[in-house]
Amino acid sequence: MRPTRLLGFVLVAVLLGVWEAAARTGLLDARFVPAPSSIAVAWVGFAASGQLVSDLLATLGSWAQGYAIAAMLGVALGVLMGLMPAVRAMLGTTVELLRPMPSVAIIPIAIVLFGLGDPMKRFVVAYAALWPVLVNTLYGVLAVDPLLHDTARTFRLGPLRSTLRVVLPAASPYIATGLRISTSIALILVITAELVASRNGLGYFVRASEQASRVPEVYAGVLTIAVLGYLLNALFVAVEARVLAWHRGLMRTEAA
Amino acid sequence: MADVLPRPDLPPPALPPSAGRGEPDAATVGTPPSFAGKGAGGLGPSLWRPALGVLTLLAILALWEALSRARVLNPQFFPPVTDILGTFVALWRNNVFPGHLVTTLWRMAVGYAIAAVLGIGLGLVMGRWRAVYELFEPLVEFLRPMPPVALIPVLILLVGIGDEMKIVVVAFGSLFPILLNTVEGVRGVHPTLLDVARTFRYGEAALLRRVIFPAALPQIMAGLRISLAIALIVALVSEMIGATAGLGYFVLQAQRGLRIRDMYAAIVLLALLGFTLNWLFLLVEARVLAWHRASTGQQ
Repeated sequence: MRPTRLLGFVLVAVLLGVWEAAARTGLLDARFVPAPSSIAVAWVGFAASGQLVSDLLATLGSWAQGYAIAAMLGVALGVLMGLMPAVRAMLGTTVELLRPMPSVAIIPIAIVLFGLGDPMKRFVVAYAALWPVLVNTLYGVLAVDPLLHDTARTFRLGPLRSTLRVVLPAASPYIATGLRISTSIALILVITAELVASRNGLGYFVRASEQASRVPEVYAGVLTIAVLGYLLNALFVAVEARVLAWHRGLMRTEAA
Repeated sequence: MADVLPRPDLPPPALPPSAGRGEPDAATVGTPPSFAGKGAGGLGPSLWRPALGVLTLLAILALWEALSRARVLNPQFFPPVTDILGTFVALWRNNVFPGHLVTTLWRMAVGYAIAAVLGIGLGLVMGRWRAVYELFEPLVEFLRPMPPVALIPVLILLVGIGDEMKIVVVAFGSLFPILLNTVEGVRGVHPTLLDVARTFRYGEAALLRRVIFPAALPQIMAGLRISLAIALIVALVSEMIGATAGLGYFVLQAQRGLRIRDMYAAIVLLALLGFTLNWLFLLVEARVLAWHRASTGQQ
């Protein structure tokens, strides 16, 4: 590890140390900014009571279900719109109008339709995560080299096989980008839904702790959400690297 | 079989320079404004395809209207489209919407401006000097994937539910895409440009301002565009959670008070707002980057 790289971690440690000292000496008002050590204690309590696990599972469950729905719908619609000009022409305007809408605007509608439970969260996540997947898939399919389509036709691949074996692999780098963007959007939306209107999940824990003035718990909850975001992102990067390893290799040989 | 098929000729580096860092990037988020008219073959060159799209949209809305009037859809949850439009016009005329809109836009603009200044400034420094980048890397890498809305409860504790809270959250959420895109842009500056600048004995300040910044601008704009969408979302969420004005506040209060028409009208306004902001950004970007397109021979 290069020395400056190490220094980065030292910087984080120093910042934490200064924070701890400032909170203990009263330089920071511990009622609002508790010391890192008291946040750690609160986190251990959060974990030991079993609430961490149940809230984490609630958040992850809604995140994963909504994300899965968005991924399947987004890829399917994107491929349909990419391969069939008529479908693209019909749905294009609607997609272009809905896509730039700030996705949190769907939350009130979701509450009206589904109430405050998990189905509401799932719907909100699925709606918001849909657009990046859909649009990137569409562009990926449109960018497929016509030569590939011709080759598939030469080999007499039917529409289903040529879609599965030629179009989807060729578009997969785009699809992966859409999926990656949606990973973080889905997390923002599930946390928002929990902050605004929910009775479980990490977002709810943070909001309820804040309203009850359990301040170290607020920080412990936010820390947990930050770690969750970090891990989900790292997981996606690792999976993407594996799945698209062939593509990177190909780009390298072509560049060489 | 695999040996017989020719090597697939893949799209240009669809794995963007920022691939692997989890940041949306120029190639995909900065998509061209329209794809409805794109397509192979067909009848006339342009007009009928967008027309078909508008017709489809109108058909969906007409179906909604009919089903709602016929009470197949519960009008309490899905009021007729014409009623929603009527409510929209009324709320606009009696100054309810313009007031909330200005409040939201103001908070969003201030936070976004702070993020732009900080993100571009820090990004230029971090992109230019590797040591600075590595110093801040662990901090940035940990904070970046965090959903910014999670900070709202903490900020309510710290600064209350005033404008400061919203501005700080918007700035935090918008910062990272701008920062990381700027870093990527600066690193991607062609070494020849730097050598030429050195030949002309540019000082470090002139180098940053007159060579590196313009060369990195396309990527910086991509970051700014991503952050614009994030800024709007985060501003709305902060208003949903702790506010007494703004569109996020209005839309959630309408839902809680079961003023469903008001709620739908506000959502229509938000859709228009998102669309307009995106469109304006594309206009600005086209102007700002016109020289770049010309110099690289792109349309």
